[in-house]
Amino acid sequence: MKTAICHHVDFFTSGVCMLNNKVGRVIEAIISETSGIRRKMGLFDKLAGWLGLKKKEVNVLCLGLDNSGKTTIINHLKPTNAQTQDIVPTIGFSIEKFKTSSLSFTVFDMSGQGRYRNLWEHYYKEGQAIIFVVDSGDKLRMVVAKEELDTLLNHPDIKHRRIPLLFFANKMDVRDALSSVKVSQLLCLENIKDKPWHICASDAVKGEGLQEGVDWLQDQIRTMKT
Amino acid sequence: MSSAPEMKGNAEINNSKWLDAHYDPVANLYTFSSCIALADLHGDGENKLVVGDLGTGSCNMKLKVYRGTGLMSENTLLDLPTGLVAFLMDQHEPRTPAIAVASGPFIYVYKNLRPYFKFTLPPLDVNALEQDVWNQAREDMIDPLSLKEMLDGIRDKADIPLSVRSLRFLMLDPQDMEAFVNLYKEQPIRRQTVITCISTLKKNMADEDAVSCLVIGTESKDVYILDPEAFTILSKMSLPSAPTQMDVTGQFDVEFRITVACRNGNIYILRRDSQKPKYCIELSSHPVGLVRIGKNVVVGCAQETLQGFTQKGKKLWTVCLPAPVTTMGVMDLPTRGFQAVLVGLANCEVHLYRDKNLVSTIKTPDVVTSICFGRYGREDGTLIMTTKGGGLIVKILKRTAVIDDKDAAPGPPLAQSIRLNVPKKTKLYVDQTMRERENAVAMHRAFQMDLSRLRLAAARAYVKALESSLTPMSSSLSEPLKMNAVVQGLGPSFKLTLNIQNTAACRPVMNLAISFLYDESLYSMRTAFFKIPLLVPGLNYPIDTFVECLSDKGISDIIKVFVLREGKSAPLLTAHINMPVSEGLPLN
Ligand SMILES: Nc1nc2c(ncn2[C@@H]2O[C@H](COP(=O)(O)OP(=O)(O)OP(=O)(O)O)[C@@H](O)[C@H]2O)c(=O)[nH]1
Ligand SMILES: [Mg+2]
Repeated sequence: MKTAICHHVDFFTSGVCMLNNKVGRVIEAIISETSGIRRKMGLFDKLAGWLGLKKKEVNVLCLGLDNSGKTTIINHLKPTNAQTQDIVPTIGFSIEKFKTSSLSFTVFDMSGQGRYRNLWEHYYKEGQAIIFVVDSGDKLRMVVAKEELDTLLNHPDIKHRRIPLLFFANKMDVRDALSSVKVSQLLCLENIKDKPWHICASDAVKGEGLQEGVDWLQDQIRTMKT
Repeated sequence: MSSAPEMKGNAEINNSKWLDAHYDPVANLYTFSSCIALADLHGDGENKLVVGDLGTGSCNMKLKVYRGTGLMSENTLLDLPTGLVAFLMDQHEPRTPAIAVASGPFIYVYKNLRPYFKFTLPPLDVNALEQDVWNQAREDMIDPLSLKEMLDGIRDKADIPLSVRSLRFLMLDPQDMEAFVNLYKEQPIRRQTVITCISTLKKNMADEDAVSCLVIGTESKDVYILDPEAFTILSKMSLPSAPTQMDVTGQFDVEFRITVACRNGNIYILRRDSQKPKYCIELSSHPVGLVRIGKNVVVGCAQETLQGFTQKGKKLWTVCLPAPVTTMGVMDLPTRGFQAVLVGLANCEVHLYRDKNLVSTIKTPDVVTSICFGRYGREDGTLIMTTKGGGLIVKILKRTAVIDDKDAAPGPPLAQSIRLNVPKKTKLYVDQTMRERENAVAMHRAFQMDLSRLRLAAARAYVKALESSLTPMSSSLSEPLKMNAVVQGLGPSFKLTLNIQNTAACRPVMNLAISFLYDESLYSMRTAFFKIPLLVPGLNYPIDTFVECLSDKGISDIIKVFVLREGKSAPLLTAHINMPVSEGLPLN
């Protein structure tokens, strides 16, 4: 099992890590395995970066409640030939890759289902940016999204880092959807003082509003690094 | 592992187990727990809230469907709903549940929120005598007045009650009877009952999405089980009283159990293969709410108690509640293996009980009249409540909430149950207790005797003091007087002020004199005897004199003051003044 996972991570192909109930401990093993490999590859990466051969790599966590549209958003950002047609609820998490003009993103697309939300925090250390997706049509669960966001922001691995936060007020096409201003009010985003954040309204099915968000994220990461 | 905030301890933190998802105080929803259900009506994984709204009780009755925070659809109901359930009728795809609304003698079944089928309860047997009498009336063999007489007679002693038609006829004034008889005599007599409660029972599979039969209780003290597709009566059972609330578990084809709270204050337990109740629980007060937790039945009673019973009717526990129960519901979280009872109270609180332990309290802005817990929208742990004022409250259980099993009810402090290190009994102690035990009567008598003596001695001393006017209060009726004295100064000169008051209502006192008695080697006074003026009732008369202390040895004595009346040797009242020690030296 372990070698299979190493192999899988080694090539950084996009893939889905299926989880069942007893895999919790194995997941932590995967994380340490991943970072070990990354360290070994670091020098080569840097070299390639200096030579302009390779884009800078960033790890992004994609978080948000179930059904908010995380997978749909990421799917839209992937190169056309890598996009899938049918999107199913994510189980556990899946790792996806996409590139922008200057960066190469590795996205941890986490499952938003209640029973998998306690997996999120295991990836906080790895993440260099966070995409937080909110279903702007789900007024009832806005409090739940806020609760999860607050828990995230108070986590020791996040709390004292100036990590950029990109919010998508997704499903703006849905009838009675809340505006991005209203969503940011309900989530009390104005209280986030120590991290750069940005919110865009989006329609992940049509792909509207996504580019604006990703451009902002790219700018933030570039200013952060140089 | 998780970053769950600590959620143990005090009540304030208890409240933070819930997220306030929605509160609409003017949702205009008037309903009870029996008329509320959560179901995935559209098969999109998002549960809707279905409510049978009682409106004002006579109009505005509606079938309302909520999606998230908003009202999604409304259907007008023809009559007051008494119960509402969502159930799967068949195996057809998409597997969306139907809604059954019980009102009057009918069950209205809705599929895709459109009326689909109307079930009518079978008519009841008509009293043969009643039938006979009406037959005679039809043939004009009897006049309305004798019809009334005969029906009255039947009503008083018949086993089978009269039909609504006869009952209405009996209420009429004599002049209206003729017209009534002519209008109805040609029509057959019908006797119809109404549905009092409704529930569902899985047909032959235990799955969450198995096809379910409807189970209905009627005013005619019957319980019917209906086929989910054909709505034929699969089974009929009888109860000793009219059912008001019902809980059903099991499968129709295998084994099932129907727990029914009835209007006679008893709870009956029906099982498959028995037409009559198998067990009976006799309550001391009427059941207001009934829920089942696992194999136990929890009943909220009108006498502000919550009682737990086994499924065979054995009482397990009773807890007292701070207010009357308004409604009850089950909180079932299978993913966490958590089950508890929600009890709505008239003091604007909802209590959460696990067995007899109060594990959490929710304060509500209004009295809650219905409670429903389950999956709403996409959230499993959602608590929906409607209030007396027509409000709608939606709360979501936090993912990280920890519900302690510990009883949150105020009780004796923990310290009280810690055993104290009591020292061993000494021989003396044991001897004393032995003596007390053996001579209890004698000791009691001796004590009583001494107590009486003490009282007698006190009474005698008091009488003596009164008789010789040794007190600073005069008890005589003719001269009721009060006096107190103040000594001022450090010495050797003291100022003595006597405050005298006539306490009579209106009579002044005259011819009084004051005399001092003291040790003349210690004190000297300018005048040891003088008259005092007329005392007007109620006024305070301060009378000053000066006392000189003659000794420089630091000793003091008592000066006695007598208030005297001319021509009487016994004083009216006496005061003893404890003189202070003189702190100064006399100037020669
Ligand atoms: N109308 C509309 N539907 C959307 C939009 N984005 C996503 N959806 C739909 O929402 C559903 C859920 O999308 P997913 O991408 O699976 O959601 P998710 O956040 O990945 O959910 P989990 O994996 O369960 O955490 C899918 O049916 C999408 O088609 C949007 O912008 N508008
Ligand atoms: Mg997903």
